[in-house]
Amino acid sequence: MGISEMFIHPSLAFVIAAIILPFLPRAGWGQSLARALLLIPPAIAIYAAFTNPLGHHASFDWLGQTLTLGRVDEMSRIFVQVFAVMSLAGLVFSLHVEDRYQHVAAMFYVAGGLGCVLAGDFLTLFLFWEIMAIGSTFLVMLNRTRESVLAGFRYFLYHVLGGLLLLAGLVMRYKATGTLDFVWEDWLGRAGTPVYSWLILAGFCVNAAVVPLHAWLPDAYPRGTVTGSVFMCAFTTKTAVYVLMRGFQNWEILAVAGTVMAVYGVLYASMENNARRILSYHIVSQVGYMVAGIGLGTAMTVNGAAAHAYAHILYKGLLFMSVGAVLYAAGTAKLDELGGLAGRLPWVMVLYMVAALSISGLPVFNGFISKTMTIAGAAESHHYWIALGLEVAAVGTFISVGLKLPYFAFWGGRPLDLKRELKPIPANMYAGMAILAALCVAQGLYPEMLYKYLPVVMSEANHNLYDPWAAWNVLQACLLLGFAGLAFYVMRQVITPHKALNLDFDWFYRLLGRGVLALICRPIAWFDNIWTRVYQTIGLRFVNLFARLTVFFDRRLIDGVVDGTAYSVRGAGRLGALAQSGQLQQYLGLMVTLLVIILALVCYS
Amino acid sequence: MNDQHIPKLSPFGRWLEENRTPARRGLWRKVMFGLLGVLAVLNFIVPNHHPHFGADKYPGFWPVFGLLVGVVMVFFVKKIVQPLIKRPEDYYGDL
Repeated sequence: MGISEMFIHPSLAFVIAAIILPFLPRAGWGQSLARALLLIPPAIAIYAAFTNPLGHHASFDWLGQTLTLGRVDEMSRIFVQVFAVMSLAGLVFSLHVEDRYQHVAAMFYVAGGLGCVLAGDFLTLFLFWEIMAIGSTFLVMLNRTRESVLAGFRYFLYHVLGGLLLLAGLVMRYKATGTLDFVWEDWLGRAGTPVYSWLILAGFCVNAAVVPLHAWLPDAYPRGTVTGSVFMCAFTTKTAVYVLMRGFQNWEILAVAGTVMAVYGVLYASMENNARRILSYHIVSQVGYMVAGIGLGTAMTVNGAAAHAYAHILYKGLLFMSVGAVLYAAGTAKLDELGGLAGRLPWVMVLYMVAALSISGLPVFNGFISKTMTIAGAAESHHYWIALGLEVAAVGTFISVGLKLPYFAFWGGRPLDLKRELKPIPANMYAGMAILAALCVAQGLYPEMLYKYLPVVMSEANHNLYDPWAAWNVLQACLLLGFAGLAFYVMRQVITPHKALNLDFDWFYRLLGRGVLALICRPIAWFDNIWTRVYQTIGLRFVNLFARLTVFFDRRLIDGVVDGTAYSVRGAGRLGALAQSGQLQQYLGLMVTLLVIILALVCYS
Repeated sequence: MNDQHIPKLSPFGRWLEENRTPARRGLWRKVMFGLLGVLAVLNFIVPNHHPHFGADKYPGFWPVFGLLVGVVMVFFVKKIVQPLIKRPEDYYGDL
């Protein structure tokens, strides 16, 4: 086996780096090595993404099952590639962060994402799935505000629930079919689909933020660290897109769910005030395009979903970076508190606009070559309502992310803001943004650099040839967006954002949480109270009784039989005094120990 | 205000600000409306070979679609939905 045929698991370097990082000295060579350690794993991952040979690698037998850590095929390859690229851009963007635990969390999180994509069986998938959940929880909590710690806790609870659905599904599936292989569930969601398939689907849908299971996302992502949210926006939902593509292609229910997501996310984004929450709702919306494409399951829409996942990771990463840069510099991401910043943060504005026009699907930028493929595929397979729904979402996307957010953040009808103190933005943040911006434009201009990695080969035979740059496609995109822009111009007074919390499905989650609290925790607390009282009453009596017995035993038996026991009794008394901790469990433990010793004495003396 | 604290703009930033004067804004508005006009004319020249929805075979469908959907969506969301579901920012007590 030559070097070119060697399989390198891209997660490995991330895990190693994450373990070493906290132990490096904070000055001198330690600091330099720490910087390098942030960039080496993504470099290895990118190399691995392009050189790993197709096939199953790193397989081993465990409890009679073959577990596969490295399934490299046309479908996983493209996701590994974009994850690797994104990890590089994300880590460059966060090079300046001093808090090493943020890097550790990010690297475990990335390793989890890559591991999920390469997993060939459900058990391996589950393992990496949970690593992701833990890593991302810390990316939220390490923002170290009360708000983010609470959000992180809710996020974790919710993902544990999703993970449990997946676990229950895979265990039941194993029992029914005797295999853990992660392959296509060919039930298509029709009558007779076993419960385990639905459970696994539900577990995946939690992470894919399928409405109404989505509310964790706009709850947690706006509260993560500036750099942490950049990672999160790329990996969790897109890993879920990958596993849905792998296991649930052609399930029509997903086509409907995806379209609902696409429109729902856009509606919420149009009323939000917090810029990072607007972007979060747009993750729901954009992932909707992918879920819809997977649900339709044609060669063209599946390719569209994969292409859109790739493009989406690049431009959404850039959106979170540039809004993160505004948050970093200005200290707030709330639109009503921003405005008049274009002159002072001109390059952040330009980089933001590259991403915003990409997500909107304007020609030249990469959303144009990926989003339109899914829509065209939907229309060509005669799913007109789905195609139309996705067009509606495209209009809303341009209005809220392409126009509303930058207008109110950078201009907002306010004069140049010279009074505001802006923290200088470090060069590495600009570098991370520049990497992604360059890729967004490059893919838009040269679609081939993305298309050649798509899971289904584009050919006449597969009926999935697509030329985004056909004259009509370009004009249609320009017309749609141009006149959507006019709609914004007309409605700009109406859409002005204000401080508010918009109720979403998390209202129900919280209700559920309170219900669980009332149903389970209260009775347990009540029982615990009684138990403590019983324990105190009976346990203490027992100890007293035992003490009296010991005294009796000591005076009448030991003293009479053995000489010099007085000394040992005094010693034991001191030990006993030490043991008087006041804790019933310890007394009980001590009692048992003493009983054994006494029994031994009685038996052997 | 102390002069030292007035931040200096980069050349690009200054250019952006110079384009915000009322005269320049009027110019930009004309450019944008001009672009829309050009697009609308092109719509009658470049044919749509693959209409999918029926009505989209007529020129003017997509401009009308974009404008109408945009206006209706913003109105629906901001004037009808948001008043119903909006709460104070610290409604859940998380802040």
